[in-house]
Amino acid sequence: MPNAIVATNLTKTYDVKVRDPGIKGALAALVRPRYRQVRAVDSVSFAIERGDAVAFLGPNGAGKTTTLKMLTGLLFPSAGRAEVAEHDPWTGGNPFRRRIAFVLGNKQQLLWDLPAEESFRLNRAIYGVSLADYTTRRAELVELLVLGELIDKPVRQLSLGERMKCELAAALLHQPEVLFLDEPTLGLDLDAQQTIRTFLGEYRRRHGATILLTSHYMADVTALASRVLIINRGRLLHDGELSELVTRIAPIKRIELVLSEPVPRARLEEYGTVAHYAPPRATLEVPRETATAASTRLLTDLAVADLSIQDPPIEEVIRIAFGETEQDAGAEAEAPRADVRRAPP
Amino acid sequence: MAARSRVATLRDQYAELLRSAFLVDLQYRASIAIWLVWGITEPIISFAIWWSIAAGGAVDGYTRDGFARYFFGVALVNQATLSWDAWNIDRWIREGEMNHRLTRPIAPIHEAIADNIAYKGPTAAIILAVWVVASIFWPAVRIPFEPGRWALGIVAIGLAAAIRFFNGYATGLLAFWTTRATALVELQFGISLFLSGRIAPLSLLPPRVVHVAQYLWFPYVLSFPVEILTGAVTTWQQYARGYAGQLVWLAIWLLLYLLVWTRGRRHYGAVGG
Amino acid sequence: MKRIRRTMVVLLAFWKLNWLEELQYRGNFVASLLSTVFWLAMAMLTVALYFGHTTQLGGWGYWDVVVLLGVFNALTGVVETVLRPGIGHLPTDVRSGALDLVLVRPVDAQFYVSFRRLDVWRLADVVLGLGLSAYALAQTGRSVGVWQIVSFIVTFAVAIAVVYSIWVTLMSFAFWFVAVENMATLFDAVIDAARYPVSAYPGALRFVFVYLIPIAWTTTIPASALTGRLDPSLAMWAVVVGVAALGASRLLWRVALKRYTSAGG
Repeated sequence: MPNAIVATNLTKTYDVKVRDPGIKGALAALVRPRYRQVRAVDSVSFAIERGDAVAFLGPNGAGKTTTLKMLTGLLFPSAGRAEVAEHDPWTGGNPFRRRIAFVLGNKQQLLWDLPAEESFRLNRAIYGVSLADYTTRRAELVELLVLGELIDKPVRQLSLGERMKCELAAALLHQPEVLFLDEPTLGLDLDAQQTIRTFLGEYRRRHGATILLTSHYMADVTALASRVLIINRGRLLHDGELSELVTRIAPIKRIELVLSEPVPRARLEEYGTVAHYAPPRATLEVPRETATAASTRLLTDLAVADLSIQDPPIEEVIRIAFGETEQDAGAEAEAPRADVRRAPP
Repeated sequence: MAARSRVATLRDQYAELLRSAFLVDLQYRASIAIWLVWGITEPIISFAIWWSIAAGGAVDGYTRDGFARYFFGVALVNQATLSWDAWNIDRWIREGEMNHRLTRPIAPIHEAIADNIAYKGPTAAIILAVWVVASIFWPAVRIPFEPGRWALGIVAIGLAAAIRFFNGYATGLLAFWTTRATALVELQFGISLFLSGRIAPLSLLPPRVVHVAQYLWFPYVLSFPVEILTGAVTTWQQYARGYAGQLVWLAIWLLLYLLVWTRGRRHYGAVGG
Repeated sequence: MKRIRRTMVVLLAFWKLNWLEELQYRGNFVASLLSTVFWLAMAMLTVALYFGHTTQLGGWGYWDVVVLLGVFNALTGVVETVLRPGIGHLPTDVRSGALDLVLVRPVDAQFYVSFRRLDVWRLADVVLGLGLSAYALAQTGRSVGVWQIVSFIVTFAVAIAVVYSIWVTLMSFAFWFVAVENMATLFDAVIDAARYPVSAYPGALRFVFVYLIPIAWTTTIPASALTGRLDPSLAMWAVVVGVAALGASRLLWRVALKRYTSAGG
């Protein structure tokens, strides 16, 4: 199988203005600006075969989105090369753009005030899809994504999950060979997440599309990708089978507790590693296989108001995998997204 | 792709871009009505002030009726040529909405052009309709029945709209580098009060100001088309000078757009949004 | 009254935060100052253009009109400092549901919504405007007595009350027309007419500006006070208009809010 995506020593550096605080610093920066080079992506190489689905993991600010932006031609590399669908993304122009799709989970691409159907029509024209192809593909996407009459309602009236489904349909009408998905399930309810996962898998099987996705949810990764790329601070740390990653790090579960009575930290240590302790809340990490037993004991022994067992968030997995402290992992965060770090049970 | 089919694709793209822009505008019709009111208050106020100044007789050849016709023309031409694209571009870049526009196989400017046509066509038609109805009841605002002149006026309005569009779009694209690109648009907006003839016919301005103005694009985007409609442009020399000015400035702003777009796109590719 | 006092406490806390936040954006101060100076210059050039063809506008001389222009700038400064960032944000709040968070608080909603945010840098517009008025007043060569100052302060307060009432009225409509997000633009449209003395307008418009959209009371009256052309009885009427406008807009606000809450948002 030929490769759909090849990255060779892909590098992106930004010049960041350095400024001392205060008015004096501001003036100094005006007269003689000083720059510091930040390596957002540092010599990353990988190849993805046509038809493969690969997950791109890493903490916020690790360089995932920057890499995707280089692969889609939004940014040009400071060094190294990329080849996507037989094109250089930066110089590929419209012939290249017709062969890819880039879906950003937190950005709206549909026409907000109109039914999704209108966005479909617009994309058909923009991508130059023939009417016959359009009719077949639209019917297929409506069926696979269970869109029904959703496409006749103004997009602003749809729920986040419904919107994302329409978003995907609109992005796939031109049947792109390579699909870039940045956080496609971000903030969606479990049902919608599940639908989208199933859909993406099925779509790839039917059309042989190549998928490169980033996600905060371990479940997205396990359901869709057989291979993962882990990137942190711009460097590729791991490129391999997902199962390898799981055996390496994920043999733990997190138990999140809300205690109705104060319990000392030392007492909790008896059940597992205390990852967070902020009474009345506490988080324990326990081996995967004993998680159920541990929670039963916690419930009988202690005054527990609420308890949930969860997969460790990807940040946590990476932290454990590469033996870093949490502060390091989040140091260059692009945007604080603390509220979406929870993984589905 | 063959040349024939590229033209067909573009036509198809414009058909859908226009359709969706028009449907969105339809959703915002109440807001658009408010913008329309906002757009005509300035000429109404200017007209009212000149009306009271002209109480004692004509002002440099402009009678009360003459002012009425002039400012009806200003309201119409201004609505048909206004460009607010800089604010859109600024928002797209700031909020990351530029990205998906750059991964589509169509330059973002086409969307803007379609938006402009879908917005200006109907709203200018409303002002035109008001003018027509007004001239039934108010003989003063009737303009001479000369279809040939009207056709020339429409051509001039089209060119003026194109100049203002590329002017606003190119200035707006400076948002690739600075967060204050819209301030530059406002600056031009302020200058155009005088040099475009928004506040008064150019012939009422000090001669030195008019002299400077004719070397800039301002008079060609408003004053010239308005004065065709009101009958102030008469000789073929005046027409020739006006159209020549329009074509030159259209070429200049088109080139500036291309320059700013290619360089801005490269800058954006280097530093991101 | 107790509710108002409690609201004040909340607002004071907000203003403090707001002030600390604004300190971060001193660049905005320079930008907004430059913009104000530019637009003031454009307005003065416009007046100069008119006076190139006349000696008076509705009975006002050049410097008298500039006095009025200063008052106009000071008044729009108040609008930009308090009203636009505060009550001007209401349509967005209604649509996003943020208003519901305000309504559950034990504060007076109108008072709170109106004064929750201050764009302090725009106070420079007030200073610049009043400065321009003082300069222009000196150019007219008129002596300014205690009566002028007192009547100006009173009528300027009335002007603020009228402008505020116009905002409350427009924003109350936002409860009915949720989809209209640019209601504030209507204010921008009408307030532009207040750049010139109302006597400069043709009769029909004058009637509109005095009785229907009461912008005659916003700049013409305080500027009349400064230029010593204000009839004491008109000053009394101004106060009546100010109070009536406040009362009427408050009434409209309540009807609108009641409609909003009973409709369940």
